[in-house]
Amino acid sequence: MGSSSGWGKWIPAQMAVVFIVFALFPYIPFIGRYLSLGTEVVIWSLFALGFNILLGYTGLPSFGHGAFFGIGAYGAGIFFLHVYKGVWLPLVMSIVVAGIFAALVGLLVAKKKGIYFALITIALSQVFYFVAFRWEELTGGETGLSGIDRMPIDIPGLFSIKLSTPIHYYYFVLVIFIICTILIWRLAHSPFGRVLQAIRENEVRARYLGYNTAVYKWAAFAISGVFSGLAGGLYTLLINSAFAFVLDWTQSGNVVMMTLLGGGTVNFFGPILGAAIFIVSRDLLSAYWESWMLIYGLIFVFVILFIPSGILGLVGGKKQTILR
Amino acid sequence: MSELLQFTMNGLVLGLLFAVVALGFTLILGVMQVINFTHGVLFAFGAYFAFSLQRYIGFGGALIVAPMLVGVIGLVLERLAIHRTYGGNPLFGLLLTFGLSMALEEVIRMIWGKPGYSVAAPKFLAGSLDLGFMLYSKYRFFLAGLSVLVILLVWLFLEKTPYGAIIKAGASDSEMVMALGKNLPRMRTFVFIIGAILAGVAGVIAAPIWSVRPTMGTAILMPAMVIVVLGGIGSFWGSILAGLIVGLSTSISVMFWARISDIIPFVLLAIILLLRPRGLMGEKSILEV
Repeated sequence: MGSSSGWGKWIPAQMAVVFIVFALFPYIPFIGRYLSLGTEVVIWSLFALGFNILLGYTGLPSFGHGAFFGIGAYGAGIFFLHVYKGVWLPLVMSIVVAGIFAALVGLLVAKKKGIYFALITIALSQVFYFVAFRWEELTGGETGLSGIDRMPIDIPGLFSIKLSTPIHYYYFVLVIFIICTILIWRLAHSPFGRVLQAIRENEVRARYLGYNTAVYKWAAFAISGVFSGLAGGLYTLLINSAFAFVLDWTQSGNVVMMTLLGGGTVNFFGPILGAAIFIVSRDLLSAYWESWMLIYGLIFVFVILFIPSGILGLVGGKKQTILR
Repeated sequence: MSELLQFTMNGLVLGLLFAVVALGFTLILGVMQVINFTHGVLFAFGAYFAFSLQRYIGFGGALIVAPMLVGVIGLVLERLAIHRTYGGNPLFGLLLTFGLSMALEEVIRMIWGKPGYSVAAPKFLAGSLDLGFMLYSKYRFFLAGLSVLVILLVWLFLEKTPYGAIIKAGASDSEMVMALGKNLPRMRTFVFIIGAILAGVAGVIAAPIWSVRPTMGTAILMPAMVIVVLGGIGSFWGSILAGLIVGLSTSISVMFWARISDIIPFVLLAIILLLRPRGLMGEKSILEV
């Protein structure tokens, strides 16, 4: 994958392309006017990239990752409303809280695989959904939390950025996305990332090579939960509110769908492509046809059956080894 | 006291209904290793068919015809798509059926619309039965009795017929069953249809006590999944036992602390999995790879 020294080690050419395309997004005619959609694309790209540490790199089929996105969303929202009205601290909270819960859930699932792993992650994510739904004092129950404003970023005497302006928030999210993408890229190409891939290909062999695979799986789970939580926190700030819907299990399905659609199982950048296509096409479909879920479900089926390696899998010709 | 009895009875009835749904789910999961997300929407189809057919052939007729129609839907789904996922990573089948269930739920909305309907119980089952110490709904008795009957029929089929033996053998060693000259693909289609019919039956009998709405499928899917894991994947009696436990605990917890009743099954699941990773009655299974 390109040169592995100097700049290319941190930002390979493909990644630079992604960053440039995202940076130019607000200036693309028609689409650019619709900035909250663009921000949503970047946020879901981050979520899908984080999720792909688990699915694409470790081969673990989590079907409950919406929970960590949602925990991040509520973590930021609750902290904002009850403790401190700012930008950085609520986002830090979304990372910390999602990380803690992902680490705990990870303890329960680290030794599982296959069907058990999928079923247990689904079931545990439901716990968080119902807690959010029922613990009205904390989460606002069905109506959710609102009034989570985007406060300006101030550095006294130097500058002040009004995040309440959509375009400023877009670039704020983009900067965080860029930092996280580089971090995840480095992680995936570190010795740690190699072990994860070894577990994906053959866990028994990785174990016989002396790696404590349960610890690696647990760490992968927790790390991917952290990025999912941050994406959730950014999402709360985008829509200025948090609802139990962000924890719904269909959200967990959506992130799996994005990751596969783009080709996350064969290419690092697959989840980003998948998230962009998914969010934009969902927006277009739902605007034109009330029953868009039908088309959406059928597209899902089509991708799973006929292009399980995703779009980048078609282009790159690599075959995924996870679904078969 | 009588209130506690009331909730306990409700819990048992709910548990038996859960058990019928979970049985179909665990059958498909145990034999084909497919986490069938369409199971919930098949349940909903059962209820909707009962709603539409009741006017013409009565509740009794709908009880026979609606599950058959759901079986046909199951046949079509299995032959067109789901059979391709057999033998793959569980995520493959799960995602495929996830997409299918979304599309099918939308089909329900397109045919019947968004609002909910209520289905009336047949006249002779309306009202309550006087048990001497309490009054209890006749229809719920009927529901419980019918669930027990369905469970027994499935058990007889699996344990006492040669076809049941082949299915069980196919679940533990499919290659060997094929080598013995059994038509495995046809058997799997058959199992899928049975699973669909079980979901359909449960949908029909649930219709008079639940409101019939497009989301009822997703609402039953999660309890069913929890029950299957709790009882032990592929375990017949495990599903029944776990169904009753989940039904009773959700119903009785409503009495004491209503808001946690949804969470109880999941908490139970977490505890059981910590103590017994394979569920209550699960054995070392081929599913664990």
